[in-house]
Amino acid sequence: MPAIRHASKRKAPPAGFSDIEDDLLVFSNKMKDAENASSDNVPRHQVLWPIFQISHQRSRYVYDLYYEKEAISKELYDWLLKNGYADAMLIAKWKKTGYEKLCCLKCVQTKETNFNSTCICRVPKAQMKEDQVVECVSCGCRGCASSD
Amino acid sequence: MLKSTHKSVAPPPLPEGWTEHKAPTGHSYYYNAATKQSTYTRPNPPPAASILQSTPFDPSQSFLQYQTIGSPKPSAGVTSDRFPLQSHLQGRGAFHGQKAGRGGHYGSRNTRAQPTDKPISRHPIPGCEPWVLVHTKLGRRFVYNSQKDESFWRIPDKLKEGILALDQLRIKEKAKAQQIPTEPTPATIAPSAIDQLDKAGRGDEKIGDGELDSSEYEEVEVTDDEGEDDENPPKRQRTGDDAQDEQSEPVEFNEDDIAYQLAAMGEEYGLDPGEYDDGNMDEWKEGVGGLELTEEDSIALFKDLLNDSGVNPYSPWEKIVEEGKLVDDTRYTTLTTMKARKETWDEWSRDKIKQLRALRAKEEKKDPRIPYLTFLQNHATPKLYWPEFKRKFKKEPEMRDSSLADKDREKFYREHISRLKLPQSSLKADLIALLQAQPLSALNNATIASHLPPAVLSDIRYISLASDTRDMVIESHIQSLPPPPGSTEEEDSEEAAKARMDKLRRQKALEDRERKVAEEKRRQQRHLEFGKGRLREEEAEIARAMNVTKKGLRDHLVEADSTEKATENPHDG
Ligand SMILES: [Zn+2]
Ligand SMILES: [Zn+2]
Repeated sequence: MPAIRHASKRKAPPAGFSDIEDDLLVFSNKMKDAENASSDNVPRHQVLWPIFQISHQRSRYVYDLYYEKEAISKELYDWLLKNGYADAMLIAKWKKTGYEKLCCLKCVQTKETNFNSTCICRVPKAQMKEDQVVECVSCGCRGCASSD
Repeated sequence: MLKSTHKSVAPPPLPEGWTEHKAPTGHSYYYNAATKQSTYTRPNPPPAASILQSTPFDPSQSFLQYQTIGSPKPSAGVTSDRFPLQSHLQGRGAFHGQKAGRGGHYGSRNTRAQPTDKPISRHPIPGCEPWVLVHTKLGRRFVYNSQKDESFWRIPDKLKEGILALDQLRIKEKAKAQQIPTEPTPATIAPSAIDQLDKAGRGDEKIGDGELDSSEYEEVEVTDDEGEDDENPPKRQRTGDDAQDEQSEPVEFNEDDIAYQLAAMGEEYGLDPGEYDDGNMDEWKEGVGGLELTEEDSIALFKDLLNDSGVNPYSPWEKIVEEGKLVDDTRYTTLTTMKARKETWDEWSRDKIKQLRALRAKEEKKDPRIPYLTFLQNHATPKLYWPEFKRKFKKEPEMRDSSLADKDREKFYREHISRLKLPQSSLKADLIALLQAQPLSALNNATIASHLPPAVLSDIRYISLASDTRDMVIESHIQSLPPPPGSTEEEDSEEAAKARMDKLRRQKALEDRERKVAEEKRRQQRHLEFGKGRLREEEAEIARAMNVTKKGLRDHLVEADSTEKATENPHDG
């Protein structure tokens, strides 16, 4: 293992990290790209969408590894959360009934939306008109109700 | 099902409005300035956009275009439908899964549609401007809205009346033409147009076939992705409603009609059945027989592919898809929907990870205590205190192994030395107690003395006796043991052999299927080309003949109008 890889304070990751290191790196690269992407011609409210989306995907990846596939240890899972590889708050929501697919935390904060209710993307597709296209303002989500 | 079009070719041009960019890391991404969308997934041109602007446009062209775009990008439908990043081209509907499920017809459709059809005439539909009725060379027809640039195979209800009028007009023309055989129909009318009307009444013969497909294919818009579905005659099924429509209004023209049409033309042109494309794709499919793999086999084949391709089971499925390593393998297509593939992936990766972890756990059993205890057995002596022993052997690997704490090394040393002072008999009893504590699966009469279970080797009691005395004790103990419960090792290899056989069998079934489908396709294509070639020749001749006198016909029509009420058309009744 390379000696000077992390800040000296940081402990080496727990066993099993090497199994997922490459894939996490792909996420990190995507994230960097998204952060560096030009935001010209992108409406201001959409600038952060790619970042939200990659962050969502990475959290889901870590979540699946631990809860769905039992592929990583509790120790490694905790380490990943602590080191920002997954959003612990978002995952906490996923464990709740009705929030299994939640896109982002913003979309369940009632205060920030125009309608003083949760985001439009939380509305089940069954309740929408047939070809109504939804794209929530905060993260670009196209619908994340559990029944979708 | 086979989806042979999944071979990747050069990327298709980007749809209008999209531009390609390189991220600093070298990734390509795509941006649409108009819609402000960006995506890592290369957008496929919507077939509608490019085709409809060209006139005369051609429904089979739109299909071809779709085909050359090729396989829907493997990532379509995989990534979270939640975000437009990857899925903006995808509708919200569930059509994609359906389509994939029917993917087996891609290849054959391709060969069927390619060489042939194109529009040969346009007629404004009276009272329904800007709609026009377009006839194709093969006698199919569809309606086209020249203002909206839309076209439909299925004729919207509002146009039916106008088209009925148009048809009646043509029937009259045709009737006149028959009365005076030397007077040809106008060149703009398909030579066989009249046949379409004939067979409207026969359509109901095939209604029974409709059981497999639901009504979702009823209305198919050529401008849509799904337009391709229309190119597949036997799949185009009719619902009861349709049939009724057709009986009352002979304007509906669907794939069965086309099949009939082709057959009729074939007979007319003296072709044997089989020399024209009879449209009975379903039949030949069944004829080839036994081509369907069981679902179990399909899943197993897909897992074989995963095993053979060396993909990392820890990776997210989306990444596997993006890498595109799997799509070129025929085993990829044994599962026909992305959903099924993802489910199989989930199952496989879970199992694989479990296996890997078990394997690793086994390796970890190579306990650092074992080599250390062996070292103690050989070198420890009551003559040396721990610090002396430590200093004396500090350069030995057993004394430096970082996975064993120095504290533990010291503890083992002290314990070992103190045990060496015990009487032999109690050491012997201790060893036997240790051996007896082992489960039969780990220690039995098949155990080789040099491969004792780690639990024995890492126990301090194992090294207390001199090694030759100890080995004798162990050997006699092993001999007294019963055989292992269910000879697991043999079973393992038997199972492995069975698994290998299974895999070979599946592989062979797949190859057989591929080969037969390919043969069948070649045969179909030959027949199609041959039949179509003959038809083209004949049609060219007819066209030449018909080119003669438009004026003569017009005169004739005027005359016909005055007499039509008296002579009711035989085809109309
Ligand atoms: Zn959402
Ligand atoms: Zn959101």
